[in-house]
Amino acid sequence: MGSLLERPFRTLLTMLGIIIGVAAVFAMLSIGEGTQKKILESIDSVEARTITVYPNWNNGRASQRRAWRPFTEQDVRDIQVIPGVYAATGELASDYDIVSELSDWRANVQGVDAAYLKANDLTMQRGRPITETEIERRDTVAVIGTSVVRSLFRGQDPIGERLKIQNIPFEVIGIVGETDAQNWRGQDSNNFILIPRPTARSRLFGDDRLVRNQVRAVKIVGEDQGTLASIEREIDFILRRSRGLTADEAPDFRIFNFSANRQAFAESQRTLSLLLATMGAVSLIVGGVGVMNIMLVSVTERTREIGLRMAIGARGSDILGQFLTEALLLSVLSGLLGLGLGYAVSQVSLGTDDIEMVFSTRIALLSFGSALLVGVVFGFLPAQRASRLNPIEALRHE
Amino acid sequence: MKAALALVVHVGDQAPGDRGLDAPLIQTQGLTKLYGGGSSIIRALDDVDLEIGTGEFVAVIGASGSGKSTLMNLLGGLDQPDQGKIAIAGKSLASMNKRALAYFRNETIGFVFQQFQLLPKKSALTNVRLPMQYRRPRLNNELELARSSLDRVGLSDRIHHKPTELSGGQQQRVAIARALVGEPKLLLADEPTGALDSKTSVDVMNLFVDLNRQGITIVLITHDKEVADYADRVITMRDGQIVEDRTQVGVR
Repeated sequence: MGSLLERPFRTLLTMLGIIIGVAAVFAMLSIGEGTQKKILESIDSVEARTITVYPNWNNGRASQRRAWRPFTEQDVRDIQVIPGVYAATGELASDYDIVSELSDWRANVQGVDAAYLKANDLTMQRGRPITETEIERRDTVAVIGTSVVRSLFRGQDPIGERLKIQNIPFEVIGIVGETDAQNWRGQDSNNFILIPRPTARSRLFGDDRLVRNQVRAVKIVGEDQGTLASIEREIDFILRRSRGLTADEAPDFRIFNFSANRQAFAESQRTLSLLLATMGAVSLIVGGVGVMNIMLVSVTERTREIGLRMAIGARGSDILGQFLTEALLLSVLSGLLGLGLGYAVSQVSLGTDDIEMVFSTRIALLSFGSALLVGVVFGFLPAQRASRLNPIEALRHE
Repeated sequence: MKAALALVVHVGDQAPGDRGLDAPLIQTQGLTKLYGGGSSIIRALDDVDLEIGTGEFVAVIGASGSGKSTLMNLLGGLDQPDQGKIAIAGKSLASMNKRALAYFRNETIGFVFQQFQLLPKKSALTNVRLPMQYRRPRLNNELELARSSLDRVGLSDRIHHKPTELSGGQQQRVAIARALVGEPKLLLADEPTGALDSKTSVDVMNLFVDLNRQGITIVLITHDKEVADYADRVITMRDGQIVEDRTQVGVR
């Protein structure tokens, strides 16, 4: 053991490969476990029961003009009545500069129907939601997110107050409860203003050729995961009919199943984890070769010591044990440092990304055990070489 | 030429293991060691018969290549002969495997080397204690044995010094203390003064004489006639054979 401390820098360099290897294996297994956990948790969430439909560039018949065709309000109504649908809502949104008496602010203005809150798993924090009547009448009413309350109204009670979008005044009638998530673009998901879609279309988006009487996307939530497949088939049927496509033509819309996508994502993340764990394993092996190399150097440097020990009564097995212990000690130390490094790195990466990690004793033991294995396997050859030295020649070694 | 002169009383039919007062501690018969192969075989040791009694102080002298180091290696159980027999303290070394030889060396032989062979980063005490690490079963008074062994060579005030903090003569004393710690029956010293200046050599040789007076059997290998003068029996070797074996009154 003392011989390791006699050359601390060399010992540390020797350990580096194993440290990195253990850290990589540990971090990757933890990420893999975290991904698995996330999937299991989200399996019954609204998110996991969500299907989103987007129009797509048609890439079918040559006779057709290449075009991007949004959905219609009728499509949304047809989808809403598919059996097994919990809620379905059309989406039409754009960012606008908003002005209130107190401030101005930029927010995402969404033209919504009555199913919007339900389909997005949102609840009202204060006030009331937009009613069917208000939607039909194209009233200028608005329900706002908490970020808008903070920024546009400086935290004061906005209910009954007015805000102006494109100089059109809207009355604030409610506040939506805060959600913690960011939206898929990484933006603040509480920074929105909901207004009736017909109002949005006639008063705001009217000059946009593409959105007249149209919907950019439809978000559908199934009653449970089991209904999603049949809902998807039904959506496909409805949209093909509405868009004049036969069953064997390529669709000009995309059905995006969140759950399936999530699984695919998880799958790819698992593959990535596996890849990185493999790299960790490679690093471990390289580290092991480093250990072997340095142990061989150590055996050569200490040949006379080995000779002496044998002369005064050490058996081959004593020498073998001595050097194996050193290799093992190196790997134990490396394993511990590797676990520490893996944990530290994962703590840093956790803050920056949407990665979840699960730390378990099992994973720690597995990573640590792999370091021990490397120590024993790669320490054996040098130790064996030491144990087989001829004491007479070893004593004469210069 | 072959010279096999037994100076101690040889009890001819004594069974091995029966250590009578005058039974030879070392007994070799036709001891031969060959090096190399084919046409270039070197007879490093050629049919050597030798008996050394308990309590003797023997110097083996000869030029380099005379076979004295080979003899020491064989007597110390570090090497096995190609022909012939060795018995130390009644035990035949030829019948021992490596493991048994290791035990034998640990219990029976104390080695002193020309280059001291101390662990440089360890204290004198740790160095002296080293052989006890390989004693089976382990003794529970290792530390006391190491201390008293250092005391015996006059280094009780240097037990925590590392070899680099000691003079050459002191280092060799530590090495001698290490050889003595296991209370061996035989002290084998290979050119113990080879790395020392003449004054220090005298000190170390006087220590050997003292130890011999305390009853320790010493076989000392040297090419230095002055060193050999301390012994009371001098065996001269040439070309792997004993060419002279004489008793003398050692310089005491």
